[in-house]
Amino acid sequence: MSDQNSQKVDVTPVEEVYAKRKKIYPRQVTGLFASLRVTGVLVLLGLYYFGPFLQWDDRQAILFDLPARKFYIFEWIFWPQDFIYLAALLIIAAIALFLVTALAGRVWCGYTCPQTVWTEAFLWIERKVEGSRPKQMKMDKADWSWSKFRKKFTKHFLWLALSLYTGFIFVGWFTPVDELFERTILLDLGSWETFWIIFYGFATYGNAGWMREQVCLYMCPYARFQAAMFDKNTLVISYDEERGEPRGSRKKDVDYKEQGKGACVDCTLCVQVCPTGIDIRDGLQYQCIGCAACVDVCNEVMDKMGYERNLISYTTENALHGKKESFFRPRVIIYIVLLSAITMALFTSIAQRIPLGLDIIRDRNSLYRETDEGLIENIYTLKVMNMDLKPHRYSLAVGGVDGIVVKKPKSGIVVDAGGVLNYPIRIQIDPEKLNKASTELIFYLNALEDDSLAVEEDGRFLGPTYD
Amino acid sequence: MSDNNNVPTVQRVVAILWPSFVVSGIATILFFTVFDPVEIIGCVGGWDISRIGYYSIGFFLFWLLTSLNSVLTCYFLKPCAK
Repeated sequence: MSDQNSQKVDVTPVEEVYAKRKKIYPRQVTGLFASLRVTGVLVLLGLYYFGPFLQWDDRQAILFDLPARKFYIFEWIFWPQDFIYLAALLIIAAIALFLVTALAGRVWCGYTCPQTVWTEAFLWIERKVEGSRPKQMKMDKADWSWSKFRKKFTKHFLWLALSLYTGFIFVGWFTPVDELFERTILLDLGSWETFWIIFYGFATYGNAGWMREQVCLYMCPYARFQAAMFDKNTLVISYDEERGEPRGSRKKDVDYKEQGKGACVDCTLCVQVCPTGIDIRDGLQYQCIGCAACVDVCNEVMDKMGYERNLISYTTENALHGKKESFFRPRVIIYIVLLSAITMALFTSIAQRIPLGLDIIRDRNSLYRETDEGLIENIYTLKVMNMDLKPHRYSLAVGGVDGIVVKKPKSGIVVDAGGVLNYPIRIQIDPEKLNKASTELIFYLNALEDDSLAVEEDGRFLGPTYD
Repeated sequence: MSDNNNVPTVQRVVAILWPSFVVSGIATILFFTVFDPVEIIGCVGGWDISRIGYYSIGFFLFWLLTSLNSVLTCYFLKPCAK
């Protein structure tokens, strides 16, 4: 009995578990939104592929130099301790995304998301090699032949080549790209560089070539929560059901209204162009990435039929139902206020940033030592980080208690642009002046020729215990 | 039971590998922003690996841990046999 039951449960869903995704062959589309997307794709791919080659003062303009733990962004150099700026930048990006989503829906998805951008590039290659949508579908159904093999081989070869180059450029954002290029030509790449080029290349090939819309459906967190930013004034792709239904085919010259039909000729082109394979006429769905391909293609059909455009359009729910639209809603105002406040704070803070860092590291080996003169001595290493673009000479002063003697190397504190200096010093204090086992000292460091370059840092001075 | 079985295989694999990948990326950034691997390993007398090497190893270790976490979550989501 129980055996029978378990069999019953096991057998039915197997097919569903392995239900294969049907490949989507998006039909090529032309029109206003398609041109916008192509422009976006070209600009963004241009930024990505050529960005690392931009120069600034004889160095790579934008370089997230992970091996050296420094980020170069035009005239700025950021250090790990500037992490707060990166965090602020990410918050700004997130709020900007919320704002754009509240106003115009999934513009990010349809035009600028790397997944969309590279998928467009891969689709372009696919169409160049395999031909249009019907040709691709026919070929995939047909048996293997020499020409099918040749086309598939060419497509995957081109995809892989582009992917590997994408991986190379990816690593080029994080390690100097001209050196990387030279080492690639000389076949002298480090093993980790090679690994990341292949890893990122493989991810590009898999995501843009194979996964495509599944990334948006299964992997994208934004796709899941973007609806929370939507309201009735958000621009969405929608089908004007009132005007379109009942749908049906008809001859061009007949008055469809007399036949009791709506404006939709049921040509299904809107479904054929959809990169996620949905039917927008079923209403707004979370799979819709807002690319507006269906808007373009439907407008073309409407023009051919001599009907009014925008049966499928970029519009708001309020507009569709003839209600009043409003641009400045509370959420939009809140996003704008937050966005401007954090952006201003970030830039003010970067502008006022003092490009000098000081770490006080106490010698780990001994707590303190008594000198021949009867003074208490502590040993420190000062880590001086010159985050400025030119070398500086600094002077050091130590305060906190009276009668501090600082013994330091004869060489002054001179640090190159972007350099770090480990500077050992010994501090001696008369035990009479100390009344605690641990005394707080203040280290003042300032550049000799520039008074604005000054920092202070606390450090501990340990001595004998007092009762 | 049937609910769980309706999930496509791609989504199951993705549900384990993808969130763990993202979290491991964040963990790697935070960890190596605070700690310089060369300094840490230098203290204990380490191996001759570049920083990129340490970052990469760190990333994959984090990914291993976080995906283990995802696997356990998925496992415990399955209802018990009656």
